Amino acid sequence: MGSRRLVLTACLAAAPLAVGLVLALGHDVRRAEAARPLFERDQDYVGASACRACHPDHHASWRRTFHASMTQLPDRTTVRGRFDGTAVTAFGASATPFARDGRFFFQLPAVGGDGPREAEVALTVGSRRYQQYFERVDGPSGTVYRRLPLLWHIGEGRWMHMNGVFLESDDDDWSKHQAIWNANCVFCHNTGIAPGLKPDGDSGNKRFDTHVADVGIACESCHGPARAHVSLYTSPVARYGAARGRGGPRAIVDPLRVGQAQSAALCGQCHAQRIPDPVDKIWTFLDSGPTFRPGGLLAGHVKTLTRDTDVPPPGDPDTFRERFWGDGTARLTAYEYVGLTQSPCFRGGTFSCASCHTMHAGDAAGQLAPDRLGDRACTQCHAAIARDVSAHTHHAPASSGSRCVECHMPRIVYGVLDIHRSHRVEVPDVARDVEASRPNACAVCHTDRDAAWVADRMRDFWGARYRRPEGGAPETAEALASLHAGDPVQRAVYVAALGRADSGVPAGARGFALANAMVGLGDAYGAVRFLARRSALALDQSLKLGIGGDLAAYDVQAGRDVRDPALQALLQRFAVAARERLAPPPAGLFVKPDWQLDLERIRPLLGSQSRHVISVGE
Amino acid sequence: MTTAPAKPTDPAIQKTLRTGWLLLAIALPLGVTLEALHGFKVQAYLASEMRREMWRLAHAHGTLLGILCLVFAAVADAHVPQVIRGRVAAFIRWGAVLMPLGFFLGGVLNSEGDPSLGILLVPVGALLLVVALVRVALAPRPR
Repeated sequence: MGSRRLVLTACLAAAPLAVGLVLALGHDVRRAEAARPLFERDQDYVGASACRACHPDHHASWRRTFHASMTQLPDRTTVRGRFDGTAVTAFGASATPFARDGRFFFQLPAVGGDGPREAEVALTVGSRRYQQYFERVDGPSGTVYRRLPLLWHIGEGRWMHMNGVFLESDDDDWSKHQAIWNANCVFCHNTGIAPGLKPDGDSGNKRFDTHVADVGIACESCHGPARAHVSLYTSPVARYGAARGRGGPRAIVDPLRVGQAQSAALCGQCHAQRIPDPVDKIWTFLDSGPTFRPGGLLAGHVKTLTRDTDVPPPGDPDTFRERFWGDGTARLTAYEYVGLTQSPCFRGGTFSCASCHTMHAGDAAGQLAPDRLGDRACTQCHAAIARDVSAHTHHAPASSGSRCVECHMPRIVYGVLDIHRSHRVEVPDVARDVEASRPNACAVCHTDRDAAWVADRMRDFWGARYRRPEGGAPETAEALASLHAGDPVQRAVYVAALGRADSGVPAGARGFALANAMVGLGDAYGAVRFLARRSALALDQSLKLGIGGDLAAYDVQAGRDVRDPALQALLQRFAVAARERLAPPPAGLFVKPDWQLDLERIRPLLGSQSRHVISVGE
Repeated sequence: MTTAPAKPTDPAIQKTLRTGWLLLAIALPLGVTLEALHGFKVQAYLASEMRREMWRLAHAHGTLLGILCLVFAAVADAHVPQVIRGRVAAFIRWGAVLMPLGFFLGGVLNSEGDPSLGILLVPVGALLLVVALVRVALAPRPR
């Protein structure tokens, strides 16, 4: 009997003991995760994997977003670029991406004082439009991650050089964009950040020892540091008590249960370019990280940039001003918070980022809430307009002219090699826009029309308060005049607009758009050429002119010695194909009746282009 | 007044009966332990999806195969011919032990995407159970 009791006791104890032993001594996902480079979770942050235990669905819905994969450690599952040993030539030199033993490298050309060398990828940034690569450098500045010169454009499936991605003219300096991750990207592309810039003994130098709770933008970026919350709710009694409404403090932020300003600030901590408030707080930021926490307000932590923000010396005083259109509307991405708070809808209401966006549902691209797609984002409040859309828009109900966002959030913002919607939700006004050198919502769609025509239509539709703009070139199509004579952002916005499938110009009448987009192929800015090529390809496909192969082969990052003859040949092929297949173009659109470009009119405009560099601050 | 049930005389049935009870005595506390780990959100357990899957399967198979052993012991005398009973009982006992053991070991020293090599015990155990089933099915029925 004693023996039987012993066996039974041993059996009953076997599983709990074995489980305890394995958990104590075996592989621990959390420990392994925390042991990876850069990770440290000994402060208030616990990391996203701790959240999964109680919130598996929210964890999964977040994990699929581009926020989650914004920063990644390189491995076969995270690296998007083609590291196949094929050399990439751009801006006067070549580099070769290659893989070895499951690791990723670039063979780089001699740059500055450095000879040719191998650089190993230690970090990736971006996973939606393009992916940038960083190498680890251990030196007098501590351990820093330095940006490498090539990025992988995911949509195009090709390597591109950093010099052709920002709003600046061509430059053969391969060291130009060697940004340091620890002092820049780390702030918005990671969670629980401590850049760790501290004095190096008595040397007077400072060294980085950067740590994050999570690479990428994880749960605690929006919900706040979760250690107290996790500690509180480890107890099942506390969890079930909270579920029955008997819980105490939640010790976590629910973005849907905070006020409008706090909700907007939560996104604005990154979706607004900003400087520390006061500026000398920068040293705190560079050591222990930003001081803003979700649930609070940005004031007192950071000052969001507007057109009128003074640039701290010794910076160029125009740096911030040039990031906005003349009326103060942002013209670069990462100013969505600024646009939102400028919007009439924001004043005195509940309107906020979460009115349209969600982090845990819908398409990962854009992250629009499924029940607020299309016009529903606006008609949830403006229901009366939804009942008779045409009465409000004066466009056919199914056309893009009747989509709320096309007029009230036009695509006039540059970022990451694309044109995005303005987040300043407002009523279009052609006089205001043209006088502020800002693309106008109507002209972005009706690319063959001049500003006076737009003003007249607005007056017909919505009353006498709309007037023609003063100055400018009232008899010239606004889109084309800005495309040829505008500054880099105007050129980028309008060249992208020419290729849109839902343009206000009938599909068969877009030959002039293709001709003008091809002028953009010769732009001095690589980013404009990139958008011009994309538009030209789309227009060729729609017009069926058969020059798509040549357009696809046109390398926007090649040197002028390659591009100029290729562009000449392309223009000739276009003219021949257009003469065969298209009716002669209308007058005044910079194209002659024989489909040759009207260079006598275009050249003076090109000569007045602004060539300044716009500090994108991505 | 109660009387003790008659003890089975066939050693194969005795062993299978004992194995069934022992399996239940191990698998049921395993289930209680896993529930506790869930209840107290023990990260070392919950953070590994693979380990959770393996140990869930170990608990489920241990319990169900323990019951299978008890059922076999109860019906073998009447329904399984004497000539194959010993071999079939051994197959069932080994299969019933190897399958949950394989799942449990699969969750020890596992990687994020794959169980550890202990999982190889699972197909061996499954094969033994299938063979036992086939032998019983093909055995001549008592008239």
